[in-house]
Amino acid sequence: MKKDLEINSEEIDILKELGNIGLGNATISLSEMLKDEKIKMLVPDVSLISLAEVPDLVGGPEKPVAAVFSRAIGEASFFLIFLMPEKSALNIIKALTEGIREEFCSLGRSVIREVGNIVSASYLNALSFLTDSAYRQTPPILAIDMAGAILGTIFAEASIIEDSILMVKTSFSTEVNDIEGCLIIVPHGEGLKKIVDILGLELKK
Amino acid sequence: MITQVRIAEVVVQRESGLLITVGLGSCVGVGLYDPVTRTAGLAHILLSDSRQFNGKSSNLLKYADTALPLMMDKILKEGALKKNLVAKIAGGSQLFKYNITGGVSNESVGKKNIMAVKKALLEMSIPLLGEDVGGNYGRTMRMHVASGQVEISSLEGYIKLL
Repeated sequence: MKKDLEINSEEIDILKELGNIGLGNATISLSEMLKDEKIKMLVPDVSLISLAEVPDLVGGPEKPVAAVFSRAIGEASFFLIFLMPEKSALNIIKALTEGIREEFCSLGRSVIREVGNIVSASYLNALSFLTDSAYRQTPPILAIDMAGAILGTIFAEASIIEDSILMVKTSFSTEVNDIEGCLIIVPHGEGLKKIVDILGLELKK
Repeated sequence: MITQVRIAEVVVQRESGLLITVGLGSCVGVGLYDPVTRTAGLAHILLSDSRQFNGKSSNLLKYADTALPLMMDKILKEGALKKNLVAKIAGGSQLFKYNITGGVSNESVGKKNIMAVKKALLEMSIPLLGEDVGGNYGRTMRMHVASGQVEISSLEGYIKLL
């Protein structure tokens, strides 16, 4: 199992690119929703870590977060997790409802689910365009709870059997509305090799 | 001494201190305790059944059916006596309304985990002294090594003593 997951530096670069391409597009969508607020995007972070270490990557297992999960199915299969601290989620709700709501009521939850949906879909559009293949996205589902509980549930439900997990995490932040968060991409099953193959090929052209 | 027990880990400690496992969603935290020798063990179980995965995974502490016997070995080695052991469990909730892989299933992963943990405890003849399972929220489990008392908390401030 371990052997399959070994990645070299060229593959890491390709995976970083996978984070870059898509999220550039996704942050434009988010910026439009926030009335053209400038969004700062960080260099994607590629890590191969044990399941136990994953929650530390998003601020610790007990940190309250909102996470929108969906699965992308196409030539390669992977998970998309749009995750942000609870406070940022509340700030998004406040910004998009123009101050009418600032809580996780049913409208508030819909707002977050929809933002996650748009960000993930923009990401997949960019990826589809670049690799010339279509991706289908499962309907987004939302949970607001401890980061560890949410990520653990995702790994359990997805029956992740590997002991280490590869994640491409791209973080973003805004100043005016004080929103920060990240999009996490987790290649699933054969997804990793396929993504590297497809993108490796495309990038070398 | 405070010791964190992370996903797919087992920790055993004697006499004093605190064992904590944070962020149990569908995962189940299992505490074993021998009140006579004051030996405590805590596990953070991710999945129910290792046989489903054909030995593809090398970390057997992930699964209820393999982690619990391993935890039992570990706690007995630390000096606990099998006849004294009792168990307390927490977690196994369902955070997402729908099955995340898109399939429809009557049994959430959380429920399967709870059943698998109870089955393993029964097979090892360890009485289940307390539980706080199910629901739709994450939990943190704190086990006091000196007393065997277990505290469950959630983000909402829900607190229960086991």
